[in-house]
Amino acid sequence: MNLVRRNALPAFAFAAFAYLLLPIAVVVVFSFNDPLGRFNYTWEGFTLKHWGDPFGPPGLKEAIIASLQIAALASVVATALGTLIALALVRYRFRGRGITNLLIFMPMTTPEIVMGASLLTLFLNLGVTTGFWTIFIAHVMFDISFVVVTVKARLVGFDRHLEEAAMDLGANPFSTFARVTLPLIAPGIAAGALLAFALSIDDFVITLFNAGSTITFPLYVWGAARVGVPPQVNVIGTLIFLVAAGLMLVNVLVQIRRPKGAS
Amino acid sequence: MTRPLTRRELLERAALGGAVLTLPGFLAACGGSGGGIEGTATTAGATTASGAKTLADKLTISNWTLYIDIDEKTKRYPTLEQFTTETGVQVDYIEDVNDNDEWFGKNQASLAKGRPVGRDIAILTDWMAARMVRLGYVDKLDRSAIPNASNLVDALASPGWDPNREYSLPWQSGLTGIGYDPERVGGELTSISQLLEDPKLKGKVTFLTEMPDTVGLMILDGGGDPSKVVKADFDKAIERLQKGVDSGQIRQFTGNDYSGPLAKGDIWAAVAWSGDMVQLTADNPNLKFAIPEAGGMIWTDNMLIPKGGDVFTASTFMNFAYDPKVAAQIEAYVNYICPVKGAKEAIKAIDPELASNALIFPDEATLAKAKIFDAAAADDKTYKEKFQAVVGA
Amino acid sequence: MDWLHRHRTVVPYLLLAPGLAWLAVFFLVPTYYLANTSLQSGSLDVGYAFTWAWDNYSNAISTYHEQFVRSLEYAGIATVAALLVSYPLAYFIAFRGGRWKGLLLLLIIAPFFVTYLIRTLAWQTILADEGFVVDVLQTIGVLGDGDRLLATSTAVVAGITYNFLPFMALPLYVSLEQIDARLIEAAEDLYASKVHAFLRVTLPLSLPGVFAGTLLTFIPAAGDFINAELLGTPRQSMIGNVIQSKFLVLTDYGQAAALSFTLMAAILVLIAIYTRVLGTERMGV
Repeated sequence: MNLVRRNALPAFAFAAFAYLLLPIAVVVVFSFNDPLGRFNYTWEGFTLKHWGDPFGPPGLKEAIIASLQIAALASVVATALGTLIALALVRYRFRGRGITNLLIFMPMTTPEIVMGASLLTLFLNLGVTTGFWTIFIAHVMFDISFVVVTVKARLVGFDRHLEEAAMDLGANPFSTFARVTLPLIAPGIAAGALLAFALSIDDFVITLFNAGSTITFPLYVWGAARVGVPPQVNVIGTLIFLVAAGLMLVNVLVQIRRPKGAS
Repeated sequence: MTRPLTRRELLERAALGGAVLTLPGFLAACGGSGGGIEGTATTAGATTASGAKTLADKLTISNWTLYIDIDEKTKRYPTLEQFTTETGVQVDYIEDVNDNDEWFGKNQASLAKGRPVGRDIAILTDWMAARMVRLGYVDKLDRSAIPNASNLVDALASPGWDPNREYSLPWQSGLTGIGYDPERVGGELTSISQLLEDPKLKGKVTFLTEMPDTVGLMILDGGGDPSKVVKADFDKAIERLQKGVDSGQIRQFTGNDYSGPLAKGDIWAAVAWSGDMVQLTADNPNLKFAIPEAGGMIWTDNMLIPKGGDVFTASTFMNFAYDPKVAAQIEAYVNYICPVKGAKEAIKAIDPELASNALIFPDEATLAKAKIFDAAAADDKTYKEKFQAVVGA
Repeated sequence: MDWLHRHRTVVPYLLLAPGLAWLAVFFLVPTYYLANTSLQSGSLDVGYAFTWAWDNYSNAISTYHEQFVRSLEYAGIATVAALLVSYPLAYFIAFRGGRWKGLLLLLIIAPFFVTYLIRTLAWQTILADEGFVVDVLQTIGVLGDGDRLLATSTAVVAGITYNFLPFMALPLYVSLEQIDARLIEAAEDLYASKVHAFLRVTLPLSLPGVFAGTLLTFIPAAGDFINAELLGTPRQSMIGNVIQSKFLVLTDYGQAAALSFTLMAAILVLIAIYTRVLGTERMGV
């Protein structure tokens, strides 16, 4: 009886992990499939050719490049803006804290379809042509909130004594910030940036409404799903997974090696 | 005032079979991404006294997927490359039309303000093309640059929404009928009623989200005439569809994405498009396409020039596409219905079997059973809302 | 330098300004435009005009109340399901994870880097009518012979649950991880059983995480339409499908905007009730 109780939780966790990873496994496996026709649903045979030609289908490369560009730009801008807000919220006292919190909170709690649609109506009413830059604007908008939350969590746990010590030793506020504060909150900022990047590169609904004639990777997949998703999409999906997992693994390993006090 | 022919224009004239180009002064509206005469090797500027027309450096086309010949190995488009060789114009071919409404929805705001949408040619189905023309979102073709337009088959020469083909030229036509797996279904399917009433097919049937196709077939099945839609017929069709949805007989409404499930076995019968079925047999050789006894629908996807596109370059391309040899080349891959006279003969040189394929070059008997959906009804707000309600939105 | 020090009170506003300005312009203003559009009427042919068209709202609710209710229902079930799956998982990682905590968390998050659509399409393959999963379920009798998994409400809810799982798991983990294990030890020292200790110590302390996770899952789930479209039939259509159709297919912008607002309002009301029930002091909001 005790044996069951001790192992019930780990067993459940294992099952849960299997459930989480099942679709990913399918995606990876089918990237090696050699479908007869346009549809990649039944296993026909093993092949490496899609891995050798990941950008084969026309338009795929442009879509990925567009997605990467937007994600990179949006995450940089959102991280900068969000970090500033987080610093203000944690370090300073000011009037309007409630409203600020509300404004940060609201985009996270609005359904994507509502945000996408309302941005579209803004652009429609102003006569702005939707395309690359409107997607960028949208992505920064919903990324900021997530960056703030992430960086804030890191800042809250931050030991102010280290800063005081630096200043006692003669450093001015800027210097202290640059050489003590920033390095110590860097993991939080990096986490925020990573989150922003991930949200941006995967975004579909908001992008759908505001993309105009630009095609991002998720939009490409959406279009391709109608006529048969080429196996190369599975290849790209697997690559994204590996790169993301790799980056996070690095982050984790760095954290493990950190001295206790600073994390 | 005359000016020497540029090399480009010489090649262009040669490619067009020596047709003489007259040159009324006309150039594409500036600002279009495919238009303008950005510092090319040609001599004339936008508005010379002789009104010379120059080809742009680039032509951008928006089309449906799998609608032009492609070399599977190199992923290049032979026809487009041939065009580039003959005219020096680079072609940016973008397969971003998944759905007429979606394409329209994405570009509507720009079109309404008369802003270019970054496309010189967009290929849209009849009723959407009719809407584009009606709303003034398209430019007129430069017919003087399209002498090959005379190759257009008679049946398509004069649709109600563009009687003189001033704004459009057909790209491909297609038939809507029933695509099914005879093995799974256990026999032949000859009517829409079977799809709706056969208990064996419960949950294994899909209809199309395109109202003209689905409702058109329903009206035909009910004995009416979809080319002049009558409210009573429409309502009856909707009622039968709703019953099918409520009982679970109809599994889903799909766009092209019936293809995967049909090949996979999730569905056994679908309201489907002729060209798709021809291509699907690679995934599942059992699949068959049939036009219902009561009749099928025929539709046409048309080349249009969205406002701001480069009219001359686009028209030149259209002329190129209407050369029977080029049309045959495209047809050999696309397998829908070719709108160009003479392609049937030309295709014998490429693949003689295709010339006798009734789905690509339908005979009179097949065409007689096919109807075009009433374009006005296709865009009627009330009808669309009723249909959307059935589709689940 | 000195200026900054003397004008310390200005600094926070300077820090806040760029980000808040972005949000104000690209979130608040669009919300205004959405509201404005929701009271417009017209069509593509004749143009749209602001006409205090309150009937957009009344029509929206009367015609589509079924989809509204269904969306909230599906989102609710998916949230509960996500909670039931995530809680033990997060608990396991927080209390039994040890050195591997980071890695295990990564295993939860990493799948969600693969594009949303690709994941959902993978479920189409997994749950195929003639596929492995359905076969097994039919063999062991869970599914009848003619039944299927795809194109059912089960598939839709399962899809929603899966796609929003990390939004539930991560906040749960964060709040569980912060619980001092010594508190639980203390409870057990005081003769509480393991279950009792959990119910009286761990669970209450993890409520902020439950609250955050529930919100972050329920809200996007209510507006989702992709799972319904790919994994369901028209009878599973959610309000998100309707909004998308109104915007992109029917170009009935007035109704589409009205529907969006109504959805937001419904969600906010539910959140308010939920917050009230749980009690805000514990939420750390």
